[in-house]
Amino acid sequence: MEQLITATNLGKSVMTPDGRLDILTAVDVSIKSADTVAVIGASGSGKSTLLALLAGLDTPTEGRVEIAGENISTMDEDQRAEMRARYVGFVFQSFHLLPGLTAEENVMLPLEVKGEQFKRSQILDLLDRVGLAERTKHYPNQLSGGEQQRVAIARAFVTTPRILFADEPTGNLDRNTGQQIIDLLFELNSEYQTTLVLVTHDEALAARCHSRIELDIGRVVDLQ
Amino acid sequence: MKKLWLLAFRAVKREWRAGELVILALAIMVAVTSTSTINLFADRLSRTMILQGADFLAADMAVSSHNQIPDQWAEYAQLIDLKYANIAQFSSVVIFGDEMLLSGIKAVSTGYPLRGQLKTSPGLDADAEVMNSIPENQEAWVDRRVLARLGVKLGDTIEVGELPVKITRIITSEPDHKGNFSSLMPRVMINHDALAATKIIQPGSHVHYLKLFAGNEANVRQLKQTLDKQLRPGDRILDVFENRPELSKAVTRAQQYLGLASVVVVVIAGVAIAMAARRYSERHFDTTAILRCFGLKHRQVLILYAIQLGIIGLCASTIGVMLGWIGQEGLLYLLRDLLPTRVAEPGIIFALSGILMGLVILAGFALPPILRQREVPALRVLRRDLEPLPASGWLVYGLALAVVVGLVWPHVQDGRMLLITIGIGLLVMAVFSGLILALLSGLRKIVPGIAMPWRIGVRSIAQQWRVSLAQILAFTLTLTAMLILAQVRGDLLNNWQQQLPENAPNYFAMNVFTDEWQAFDAYLRDNNVESKGIYPIVRGRVIKVNGKELRGQVKPGSKAERWLDRDFNMTSSAKLPEDNTLIAGSWWQSDSSHAVSIEQKLAEDLGVSMGDTITYAIGATQLEARVISLRQVEWDTMNPNFFMIFAPHDLDEYSTTYLTSFYLSAQQQPVLRGLLRAYPHVTLLEVDLILEQLRKIVKQVSLAVEYILYFALAAGLMVLFAAVFASMDERIYLGVILRSFGASRSMIRIAQLSEFFTLGFLSGLLAVILSEIINWNVYLWVFKLDYTPTPILWLIVPFASALLVTAAGMFSSRKVLRESPMQVLRKL
Repeated sequence: MEQLITATNLGKSVMTPDGRLDILTAVDVSIKSADTVAVIGASGSGKSTLLALLAGLDTPTEGRVEIAGENISTMDEDQRAEMRARYVGFVFQSFHLLPGLTAEENVMLPLEVKGEQFKRSQILDLLDRVGLAERTKHYPNQLSGGEQQRVAIARAFVTTPRILFADEPTGNLDRNTGQQIIDLLFELNSEYQTTLVLVTHDEALAARCHSRIELDIGRVVDLQ
Repeated sequence: MKKLWLLAFRAVKREWRAGELVILALAIMVAVTSTSTINLFADRLSRTMILQGADFLAADMAVSSHNQIPDQWAEYAQLIDLKYANIAQFSSVVIFGDEMLLSGIKAVSTGYPLRGQLKTSPGLDADAEVMNSIPENQEAWVDRRVLARLGVKLGDTIEVGELPVKITRIITSEPDHKGNFSSLMPRVMINHDALAATKIIQPGSHVHYLKLFAGNEANVRQLKQTLDKQLRPGDRILDVFENRPELSKAVTRAQQYLGLASVVVVVIAGVAIAMAARRYSERHFDTTAILRCFGLKHRQVLILYAIQLGIIGLCASTIGVMLGWIGQEGLLYLLRDLLPTRVAEPGIIFALSGILMGLVILAGFALPPILRQREVPALRVLRRDLEPLPASGWLVYGLALAVVVGLVWPHVQDGRMLLITIGIGLLVMAVFSGLILALLSGLRKIVPGIAMPWRIGVRSIAQQWRVSLAQILAFTLTLTAMLILAQVRGDLLNNWQQQLPENAPNYFAMNVFTDEWQAFDAYLRDNNVESKGIYPIVRGRVIKVNGKELRGQVKPGSKAERWLDRDFNMTSSAKLPEDNTLIAGSWWQSDSSHAVSIEQKLAEDLGVSMGDTITYAIGATQLEARVISLRQVEWDTMNPNFFMIFAPHDLDEYSTTYLTSFYLSAQQQPVLRGLLRAYPHVTLLEVDLILEQLRKIVKQVSLAVEYILYFALAAGLMVLFAAVFASMDERIYLGVILRSFGASRSMIRIAQLSEFFTLGFLSGLLAVILSEIINWNVYLWVFKLDYTPTPILWLIVPFASALLVTAAGMFSSRKVLRESPMQVLRKL
């Protein structure tokens, strides 16, 4: 399988009133296409920062990130936005559904942003696939946490991205619901052959991934 | 691009449904509704007054001359679809048997009057009818005075010059009846075609010719421009305003006030739009972050929001214009009893420009907060604390200022004054920001000492100082604008009423001879009739300035040209008449001679300055006088006023008559009869009709101003409400958190009440201070009067403002108390 994401000597530091704070230091990561990778570590270990850098949501202070052979670290914000549109989907801990849009409209949104033609049935099928066939017209505040995350998953897959970044997707859900969401995420992932990069501190969830990157205070301590 | 348009349309549709756009759209709608109502109304009102003015002229425009007016001008007028009619006016004796009567003869051609109504009655006791025709060639229509003085009745034949004419109708009102000499005499109206047969008009006869024109406004303007170039010496174009200066002044003042009101409403609404846009923008940071995650570029984000804003602006403005249309119809309906039957149609262009205005206001006030979306980082999806920088103060205030200046400009047109106002405005805002911050910091210090539920509210204001500063400034600005508008209206109305008090002179007495003026004056005084001063009148014209012929110095087409062949009614006086204000030089000592005081505008037209020597032709003699003062004259009072006033004895050697004006109540009519008996040759001019017309106009305009004020105040209240509503999210959040901690409803209610009350009270207090400062400056520099502050306002305004803001706030936050904390949180 081809290398899809490569991070070399990746570092991120910020200036604080007490001086420089290193959030990530010399991280090297290599992720193959269709792989599933768990990024684990304690709170404050730099998991989300790594995800942000790999997804092109933030720029590193050192090192580089390549996606499909393109160095995104030298891209400007707009070029990275274009790259995200081409390759990337997201699932977040706090769902980030747009409150004024129904479930169906939330799922449509990435396609609308890309300007792609689509059929409504395509959206409804996907919502059916995540178990929300009856809830398509509901607004986020009318859905439970688990249902909201299902909408977010459907929204992430609707553009059939090559990479899906998930930031603590079960962090705001109870164990049972979390389990169902993870099952769904992995099912769809294998169906769509998506590369999954998952940030979590849940060991059981990490165990379901092919490989794992364990971080501790900004450094990779274990790479499997 | 098509993708963005599609996305924007969908977003607007979805957000409208979700209620996200309501406040922003409402703010725009209120702004456009108010400005459209005011602008459409002001436009219609002023055009109605022009129409009314046209009635007074019996035409839209007229050329007046002492020479025959060329027929080619009428032919040209016909060519551009204008109607025309001829009038020749002169005084002549009419004869019935042995009786003779000096009358004002008016020969009119078919079509007269082109505007307004000529009313006549077929008998002394019959009702007046509006005429659509003029007297036949062998007929005359006369007023009652002719019947009484000549002792004739309808059907009798009188002689006008060599033409016998039969009296067929009694004239009851002429539209173009003005208080001048020819209309003062008993009226005999004949057909213009019969004029030659009278054989009265010979070379050298003193005849006043008028050609009336009426029709489409643009064509009238075209005719005026064409004729302007062809006028001969002594020809004058009369349009509505020139004909009735008092009308022009009333309309101008009303327009100025309405203009001011519409700007005030724009500023008030602008504040609400800015606040609503800020809320809208802040509530969309997450959406933007998500869209950025999905791959939307900075520029695309900006275009997306710009399109959305454009769509919202266009829809809200269109609705606003429609409501404005209804609003101005409503205002006209309220004023219907006072307005003439012919009311100008509303201007479509004005309505359309309302939409443009909505978009401009939106751009000026809403763009800066929306521009922040461009800076929202995609990373916000992971770190919600990442907020874009606040919009630059320069951008926020610069854009808003540009819009306000753009809107104010047509009403001010005095660059220096505008710059000073803006400079002072910015300075005051800066000082006030400092003052508010100091107050907030003071509040922070006293927070620990405040009893519990109140402490929460006051602390919330003090801690969120940025938000509080913006809100207090916004409320202060709104309230100040409302206060100033109310104050200016009061002064405007007082000013008008003072000009036309109940006992304004309703009679002018002319032709009082030199040897009897003292007795005449004494007679009035003995009968408790107050005269407005008795003035000698000498007619003369300006021929030289500083020894050089005026004719040689006047450039063709200049303002001075129209004064060249004009005889002035000149007077001499020891005292400065009461409606006059000296603006240069000083009034003379009793021993001054060969000195003249000139009305300032005339001096400007003639190019005459202080110290110049002017030579006057009075009959066959010449008089030289030095200009030693310039005066400003209130022409629209009914007192005798003069362009030229000479030192007390300068005119003694010229043959003089005297002029005075006085007020006679209905009960004092016997005095009039006594005067007529004692001084039969004195001409008495009754101006009750003119006074009545003037009062009616002033009343119309005053009421219009009053309604507009109420309208602006209502708009201000709505906007205040919207502004409070737009800032509710944080407060609701705090309320919900408190409730989830177990705070009782009454505790939250008191906390919120104290917060709104404090906000409102501080804003009210600052608004009073600001409006008093502005008023004090206006009085000092513009009216040049001492300003007396209104202490009661210092008490009323802060409390009224506190009540208003509290009411609006408590209404907007009622859901915190009604719904469960979870329900509320989910909606935020």
